[in-house]
Amino acid sequence: MIENSSDVVVIGGGVAGLSTAMQLARRGVSVTVLEREQIGNGSTGRAAGLLGQLRGTAEHTRMLMDGVKIVQELEEQAGTEIYVQTGSVRVAETAEREKEIADLVEMGRSIDFDIAPMATDELAKRMPYMRTDDVAAACWCPTDGHLQPAELAAAYHKVGRDHGVRYETSCPVTGVLLDGSKARGVETPRGEFYAPILVNAAGPWSHLVAGLTGTTLPTAALGHVYLTTQPDPDHPVDRLSPGFRNRHHRIYGRAENGGLLVGIYAEECAEYDMETLPPDFDMSAMKARRDDFHLAMLIHAAQQRFPWINERTPMHVTTGIMTFSPDGLPFCGQLPDHEGLFYCSGFSGHGIVQSPVIGVIMSELILGNRSTYDIASIEADRYWGVPGFQERDEIEQRCHKMQGSYYGRLEGKSADSKTDTA
Amino acid sequence: MKILVPCKRVPDPDQKLRLNAEATDVDSTALTYILNPFDAIAVEEALCIRETTHPDAEIIAVSVAPAEGEDDLRTALAMGADRALLVEHDAQLDSWNVARLLAAVVEREQPALVIMGKQAVDDDANQTGQFLAVQLGWSQATFASQVEFTETGLRVHRETDLGIEIIHVSLPAVVTADLRLNEPRYASLPSILKAKKKPTEYTTAEELGVKPEPRVRLLSMELVHSQRNCEMVTSARELILKLRETEVIKG
Amino acid sequence: MKTLVLMEHDGSALRSGNGAAIGFARELSDDVCGFLLGEDLDAMNCEAAKFAPVITVDDPALADPVADRWAQVIAEVARARGAERIVATSTTWAKDIVTRAAGLLGGAMASDVIGHEVIDGELRLRRPMFAGAVHATLTLEGLPQIITVCASAYEAPEPAATPFAIEPVAANVTELPGSTQLEEVEGKVGARPDVTEARIVVSGGRAFNTSQDFEQLVGGLADTLDAATGSSRALVDAGIVPNSLQVGQTGKVVAPELYLALGISGAVQHLAGMKNSRVIAAINQDPDAPIFEFSDFGLAGDVYEEVPRLIAELNGS
Repeated sequence: MIENSSDVVVIGGGVAGLSTAMQLARRGVSVTVLEREQIGNGSTGRAAGLLGQLRGTAEHTRMLMDGVKIVQELEEQAGTEIYVQTGSVRVAETAEREKEIADLVEMGRSIDFDIAPMATDELAKRMPYMRTDDVAAACWCPTDGHLQPAELAAAYHKVGRDHGVRYETSCPVTGVLLDGSKARGVETPRGEFYAPILVNAAGPWSHLVAGLTGTTLPTAALGHVYLTTQPDPDHPVDRLSPGFRNRHHRIYGRAENGGLLVGIYAEECAEYDMETLPPDFDMSAMKARRDDFHLAMLIHAAQQRFPWINERTPMHVTTGIMTFSPDGLPFCGQLPDHEGLFYCSGFSGHGIVQSPVIGVIMSELILGNRSTYDIASIEADRYWGVPGFQERDEIEQRCHKMQGSYYGRLEGKSADSKTDTA
Repeated sequence: MKILVPCKRVPDPDQKLRLNAEATDVDSTALTYILNPFDAIAVEEALCIRETTHPDAEIIAVSVAPAEGEDDLRTALAMGADRALLVEHDAQLDSWNVARLLAAVVEREQPALVIMGKQAVDDDANQTGQFLAVQLGWSQATFASQVEFTETGLRVHRETDLGIEIIHVSLPAVVTADLRLNEPRYASLPSILKAKKKPTEYTTAEELGVKPEPRVRLLSMELVHSQRNCEMVTSARELILKLRETEVIKG
Repeated sequence: MKTLVLMEHDGSALRSGNGAAIGFARELSDDVCGFLLGEDLDAMNCEAAKFAPVITVDDPALADPVADRWAQVIAEVARARGAERIVATSTTWAKDIVTRAAGLLGGAMASDVIGHEVIDGELRLRRPMFAGAVHATLTLEGLPQIITVCASAYEAPEPAATPFAIEPVAANVTELPGSTQLEEVEGKVGARPDVTEARIVVSGGRAFNTSQDFEQLVGGLADTLDAATGSSRALVDAGIVPNSLQVGQTGKVVAPELYLALGISGAVQHLAGMKNSRVIAAINQDPDAPIFEFSDFGLAGDVYEEVPRLIAELNGS
């Protein structure tokens, strides 16, 4: 028995890899997680963690609802609070968006998801720090909230450890070992790690890891930014204030530490070339310049809904890197070129909340080659060989466009005629 | 009134550093650079002065840096400075010579006040402001945590090891900004767009008539941070012993 | 090499850190003189004379330590004495006044020196840069050399059995600049240093149940070490400590000489704010807590038991 050998090697110690490792270990599989930096140091550590369970399809909603149950179990096992159930609101100020909300309420109810319209005065009562005089419609999802990313990662880590997962940090993967077309292990500066099954959960680096076997993974590394205001006695934000989405202004947010967290999916965002970043680039230390254009757009947008926020508001700015796919959905499973090489990446800003169920799906795929969920929409090979999804520049363009349209497009029935997808 | 704000371009101190092959400087490839955080505080203070007591103030951001230093001057302009001056200089300079270049700029611009960071977070020298003041024969107010105008000058709260010291200095003066002076703003969208039209001037040490005369010769650098290897101890007493051995606590 | 060591005082007593400057100066030269400026210095002169011969400028014009006046006197005396090296311990006083004096003396200055060696007669000085992430070695060009040293880097010499001579020196006070006045000093009243600037940070996490416990244990240990207090997000969330203490991604980013993490598990949120500290020591009940991976020293134990022991140990009981 070679010391560095296990059933599965997971590349990446973010929530995707940690959840997968934990679920595999619970099923008796020996797992080694290799993390280039420290556990939860990448996108996981920069995430806001907003949980909006109502998605475009009933199956995606079911995945998120099941995820909450998994998190609740985890909370007990790890003894920490991960899920903060605050409820969430969506607000609309245009006729189009008003219709979108009506559609969402109808869709949610059709699948027994708890959702209801909310009157503006009720909205103003729950969120007195928000401008509501221009709100045409709102809806309320009482079971939504947010997952605390650091606590979630720590819980996966702890429960995984209790089930025997081995974690190697400061251990970047520099090569993939193959036996013909079969996975055999990986190379790292700390030696080789052997396993017949590898999981590429390397987040923004995953297309580079895929490149080690000459595989094209259509993900792109895009910048994202959110602000967190310092507590302001004039605008107190209760810890259990609702999360919110305001798609017209492209912003989302929630309470954080007595202040308000606001993020943006603007039409334009920063792009990162992961290859040219320093080899020991530390995402947890990223900061926005004082004249960051994307941040200025965020502040401008936030000010429309929260007029007390401006460029002089004492705030903390979090900037990080997301892994986007061309359709905003993750890649889960194997690709045709190699056996035993699984992908788990491209969460497009939703990795935290999707991770609980993704761990289950990945372990099912790895152990039984099929999942109890309908995963057609997130299968890893959906762009395999499809023209227009093979070159880096076209992949990046498509992912960027998806990011830009993420809040720009309409959801629900109204979307049918207008959805702009790649 | 003119206010001059020296702005230093520094590597982001929170990213991991590497050294160049000769170990004489940090490896600047793929490094993120930012406006020295203490200088951002200085810019903010100048803006506050303009917004409160001196609406006629003209704020000039100046940097001694390679051509890329323009990025950081643009940050100052986007925050609200009126114009910028880049003294293009590629080689490493010690504080003394940076102060000489700044003094030459002061001679040219004749500001009544220079506000700058108390130190730059790359070399951490904490010298340039004092050197500049002395070269100009001006008063200095270092470690400022509060600045207020009086009829004859400035009343400045200084953060010292012994507590807050309140001094009065006449103008012209050099003020160096400490952390608590203010919370710098981010640039607003209109302000970023406006900054693109603001003038940046370029000059060189030669044009300013300054020939660098090194006072400090940097021989080599060494990275201090290494992989941590946790040594578990079994008692509070042993922990104190270890901390004393590493000289982080005295006694 | 003729060396003057500037002795800092608060108007009534010498500051304890001066010993490091004397220690450093003595390692390099036998010709070391202490140098005091101010008013009513007699008692302090005697104290200083236990370590080196003292020259002293005692004048009402120097009653307040204002930079322009003091720097001018320092430069004048240094020139008159032919001093080739001027040394002080690095403090805000030295950074303000000694740096200005250095400017008057030609600007060959190194601050915050933590080590040195002499190679072929050339003095090489080591000083931290990038918040301690880099140590640079440098030499100074020209004389006099002005050097400030970190108090923790050099040992104070033992006091001599018989005191050295004290030599009063007159300064030309009529031509001192008068554009700076000291108006007031608001002494620190039990205030702790700011968490971002302290040399030592004592930080508490989830293990502390109440504000009182936090103050007593984390605060108590911090006061023993003249340290700042910090906390993880969990305590801010729970309302146990104010937001201003939070160290981490959404709080303050710190890199002190020593970070003591008490009852902090080490979530990435928190690590982002402190992992560049020079030395990290952690106490946590869970021996597998991730914080230990980031620590140089670890103690698995209950903070409610271990912290009082640390305080007692430091107080020498």
